Amino acid sequence: MVVSALERKNKIIFMKLGIDIGGTFTDFVIFENNSSQLYFAKTLTTYPDPTKGIFNGIRELEEKFGFVVRDMDDIVHGTTLVTNAVIERKGAKTAFITTKGFEDVLEIGREMRYDIYDIFLTMPKPLVPRNLRIGVAERVDTHGNVITPLEKNDLQAITDSLKENDIEAVGICLLNSFANINHEKALGNYLSENVPDIYYSLSSEIMPEIREYERSSATAMNAYVQPITDKYLKDFEFQLKAFGFKGNINIMISSGKLTTIDGARKSPIHLLESGPAGGAMAGVFYGRQLQEENLLCFDMGGTTAKACVIYEGKPEITNHFEAARVKRFKKGSGLPVRIPVIDLIEIGAGGGSIARVNTIGLLTVGPDSASSTPGPACYNLGGENPTVTDADLVLGYLNADYFLGGEMTLSVAAARQAIKNKLADPLGISIEEAAMGIHKIVNENMANAARVHVLEKGMDPRHFNMIGFGGAGPVHSFGVAKLLNVKRLIIPVGAGVTSALGFLVSPVASEKIRSHIAELNQLDWSEINDFLEDMEKSGYEFLFKSGIPAKDGSVQRIADMRYSGQGHEITIELPHGKLNEDSIAEIKRRFVKEYEFRYNRSIEGIPLEMVTWRVVVQGPIPKMAVKQFSNTSSDADAYKGIRKVYFEETGYLECLVYDRYALKPNEKFNGPAIIEETESTTVIGINSIIHMDTQKNIIIDLNT
Amino acid sequence: MENVKTTFDPIALSILWSRLISIVDEAGTTLQRTSFSTVTRESNDFAVVLMDKKGRSIAQSSVSVPSFLGVLPILTKALLADYFPLETWKEGDVVMTNDPWLCAGHKPDIGIVSPIFYQKQLIGFIGTIAHSPDMGGVLWGAGSRDLYEEGLMVPPTKLISEGKPNKTLFNILEVNVRAAHQTIGDIKAQIAANDQGIKSLHKLIEENQLTDLQDLADAVIEASEKAMREALLAAPDGSYQYSYDTDGDGLGNGCHFEITINIKGDEIHADYTGTSGAHPLSINAVLNYTFAYTAYPIKCTFSPDVPNNDGSFYPIKVTAPKGCLVNAQKPSPLGARNITGNMLHSVVFGALAKAVPEQVQADCGSACWCIVLNGEHKGKEFVEYFFLNGGYGARPNMDGEHVLSFPTNVANVPIEVLETDIAVLVTEKSLLPDSGGKGQYRGGLGQRFSFKNVGEQSLNISLLTEKTKTPAKGILLGGDGEMGSLEIIPHREFPPKGLDKLHPGEELVLTLPGGGGYGDPAKREKTFIQEDKILGYIS
Repeated sequence: MVVSALERKNKIIFMKLGIDIGGTFTDFVIFENNSSQLYFAKTLTTYPDPTKGIFNGIRELEEKFGFVVRDMDDIVHGTTLVTNAVIERKGAKTAFITTKGFEDVLEIGREMRYDIYDIFLTMPKPLVPRNLRIGVAERVDTHGNVITPLEKNDLQAITDSLKENDIEAVGICLLNSFANINHEKALGNYLSENVPDIYYSLSSEIMPEIREYERSSATAMNAYVQPITDKYLKDFEFQLKAFGFKGNINIMISSGKLTTIDGARKSPIHLLESGPAGGAMAGVFYGRQLQEENLLCFDMGGTTAKACVIYEGKPEITNHFEAARVKRFKKGSGLPVRIPVIDLIEIGAGGGSIARVNTIGLLTVGPDSASSTPGPACYNLGGENPTVTDADLVLGYLNADYFLGGEMTLSVAAARQAIKNKLADPLGISIEEAAMGIHKIVNENMANAARVHVLEKGMDPRHFNMIGFGGAGPVHSFGVAKLLNVKRLIIPVGAGVTSALGFLVSPVASEKIRSHIAELNQLDWSEINDFLEDMEKSGYEFLFKSGIPAKDGSVQRIADMRYSGQGHEITIELPHGKLNEDSIAEIKRRFVKEYEFRYNRSIEGIPLEMVTWRVVVQGPIPKMAVKQFSNTSSDADAYKGIRKVYFEETGYLECLVYDRYALKPNEKFNGPAIIEETESTTVIGINSIIHMDTQKNIIIDLNT
Repeated sequence: MENVKTTFDPIALSILWSRLISIVDEAGTTLQRTSFSTVTRESNDFAVVLMDKKGRSIAQSSVSVPSFLGVLPILTKALLADYFPLETWKEGDVVMTNDPWLCAGHKPDIGIVSPIFYQKQLIGFIGTIAHSPDMGGVLWGAGSRDLYEEGLMVPPTKLISEGKPNKTLFNILEVNVRAAHQTIGDIKAQIAANDQGIKSLHKLIEENQLTDLQDLADAVIEASEKAMREALLAAPDGSYQYSYDTDGDGLGNGCHFEITINIKGDEIHADYTGTSGAHPLSINAVLNYTFAYTAYPIKCTFSPDVPNNDGSFYPIKVTAPKGCLVNAQKPSPLGARNITGNMLHSVVFGALAKAVPEQVQADCGSACWCIVLNGEHKGKEFVEYFFLNGGYGARPNMDGEHVLSFPTNVANVPIEVLETDIAVLVTEKSLLPDSGGKGQYRGGLGQRFSFKNVGEQSLNISLLTEKTKTPAKGILLGGDGEMGSLEIIPHREFPPKGLDKLHPGEELVLTLPGGGGYGDPAKREKTFIQEDKILGYIS
């Protein structure tokens, strides 16, 4: 469809484009408000220059649907660029400036091992090596009082050494800078005057929170990825403009919000989890559409599965995040970054996860993966290890001739052979039993991790319905839902491009953070009101710059609090308006309520302590009244045939296979069933009722 | 490879086993997130163990520190044999004790055991053990003269009977400990953790149509035992000796360790005959604790990947003469027994290096140094614990990591948090160049940490240091790590272990030891040496 100039001018048509660059694919989603339709496209991610892939996709959109970029009003983008740079250590040559005597804090970390029994473990190397960490004479105390003034005479020598070492970026993190930012600011100013070509990041801007190692780590990482992100975003913007694009560009960040190009260039670490955050926000969107307030989002791809909780229509946010773990999925083995991220657990369970018999003769699956080369045995690319995908193929869940819509043919024989050699023969069981074993164990691993994740939040997984997406998600969701005693499972339309879709339904927002630690009963309320107002004001300024008028903005003021003496903080929303002595009772009430919800108890007689203050100023949540999804309408018969499919309870069954695109709204039938689409296959076991809703989401009720 | 012979196939057992571990981890999460004790919460100084009705452990929380290895089943078996026979347990009971000989070797470690009933039948037990914020007595450390100065001891007692709390015991606790709200809060967190475990276990039983735990317990115990036995079988039989010295009080009254490890077929026996007698400082270890810290390096060496349960420990025997440093008897003081326990890996690895050199590491710059400060801040009394670690021992194929906790696993307290909590100013925290033992693979570097009392009042300080007179030993021709040291400015005598005061304006400078090296230093690759120089790890 081509949009006429008149339509554009009169704003009859409004179009938004979401672009998500993932490890393997770059996904595109267009929402067009006139017909309320969504359009999807997918291209391969191009290396080393991923912008090339974007423009391949843009061309595809034009060919397929007639859309041109210059007609777009908004573009929202997310990328794995930052994550990959940290994992592959491909960031800039970075130096780190800190208080003299504390140069090694970045390397020493928290002194704790992430694996108790592995004496051969390695800790993550710091992003800035010891010879590029520089101490300056200065010291501020915990209250922000200057104990040792910044030694200006040292600065010349520092800039000289930066130049000598060809440093591209500098992270600056001084002790207690969350309480007094002046020394960091002075250092930053000196650098911008004397070495204007070197990027610098100040910890008091990146992560103004107490805890020097975590703050240093975040600051060093921000500096490390800043030059490449800056260059990338400049190119991205430039090329879009060259295509005639005149609208807004926003960037997806880890907390499920959007920032501006400038915001992203300043704090690129916020881009770390943009893809998964998009997936979670898509979950929020589907939830709203389906009127499901509490959802467990389950996303399973080639190497990992992710789960996150949406509670009362909102994703859970955490401030604990680790990038680039040296031991996959092991908590504590990565570099900490205390930024707000959507709280997702990552599990080493994907289509490529390898199954084996362990030292004590038990079947185990993952966390290592056959990835895309050599890939699962059934890809016939030389992989000899049986994987989850091989099991799914042997069990009849996947269609050998319709993998990725038929782009790839899978070899059942190779899958059977790998399972026979490595598992069935050594264990003395049949190939089908071994395949079912893989399928069950990987489901069990995911359900266990999801259960712990939900329980950690003080919630009960049985009170949630589940939504499943990702390439392998629809294949395994039914099994996982059964293990979690979930009553209803939803496989949404567009399950293959969820992140990009999530970008389009996320609000623009700014989050300001401040550490100010004091007991609730001993706060100086005028000081608190002052800084909360400042934070709010700069949030509104950000919105204004993003083109959102103040009247459309909303404010959320949040405090991280704890019982004095405890280590875990919980987050509560502060009452509106000016705070004073009279607010104490209400804040306390909110804290106790939340604490009881999380831990089923509260504690008398222990004072409450405020730790971190956050002010989120956000624009409106984009409304998308989707009526229809493209590539979903077809007049063909949905019934594709019958195939032999293995279910745990029954063994092989003759199972009906449907074409998802041809299923009609409000169709209803019983499981077991297989529903095929290009990016995935939905597997539905016995004792279930399937129904297509008006938007053609697959709704599955489990009768357990 | 032979499969485990059980009523469970390898798939069902794999699934049920990971569920069992998931259940104790869920319970551990509940405990950790609601506890006050810094050591419980930041340092995983707790364990949750699921046991069968004989008190044999089936699954243990996966992040727990080694000090609790095997302790809860020993406790539960003792409860069944000597205190509460099987038939006397009722649904809703909870038993508590902190008897060091039954639990983990000093009074702050509280054991809480709950029976698990299913359809009115007792099918097993779940227990937690955790380091409580306080149990009364003198400030925690090496300073107590006997057991009685170390606070309140609660013999095994029903804290809750059929759901009814024992108010007398709660009252006794409340009046005997500092910060009673926190200590009692933590005990309640332990009970909540047990309850969480029971709830999850019920679900597992129902969903899998089991009637009790026995077959499953037998299967996992048998599998873990078999894994350990097979690994031991692969090691050469023989008798391996090692002797080792530690600081003791750091003032001339040191400790000496002798170990003989006998590997015979699929069994291993560690004996400490020849080790020095009880020490006047409270660094004596009970046999439970000695077992835990001896079994730990053995487990790391032979069967690091297989989940722990009773079976892992059947092939391991640990003995020590009664009354010696590592088999302390009443009324030897025990408070800082961790200093001794943290040394046992050095002794065990030293001996095992002669049997399986490719599976062990060189000595670490342990034990973990502990600093406890007590005083008033903003008109309130505080007790602040913090911890510092030395360098990690070199491995057969790589250098030791710098400043890493071993064999315990204790995080440092952030400098900024410390300075917010109390009136101290940290003046340095840095790696210590040249402190790692030389070798084909270098030991990890130690650190320097110094801080000053910037308040107006003197602080009580309890200090535990180690390796200021004795180094972390290198192995297989590897060099020793540099020793640690402590200094107070302005200079005066200061006890390396024990109680003193830190007066306003005084600065304490702590230098922690580096790890030992592995293998002949002459074989170290040139590029490694060069890189060490560039990064300033060596001068």
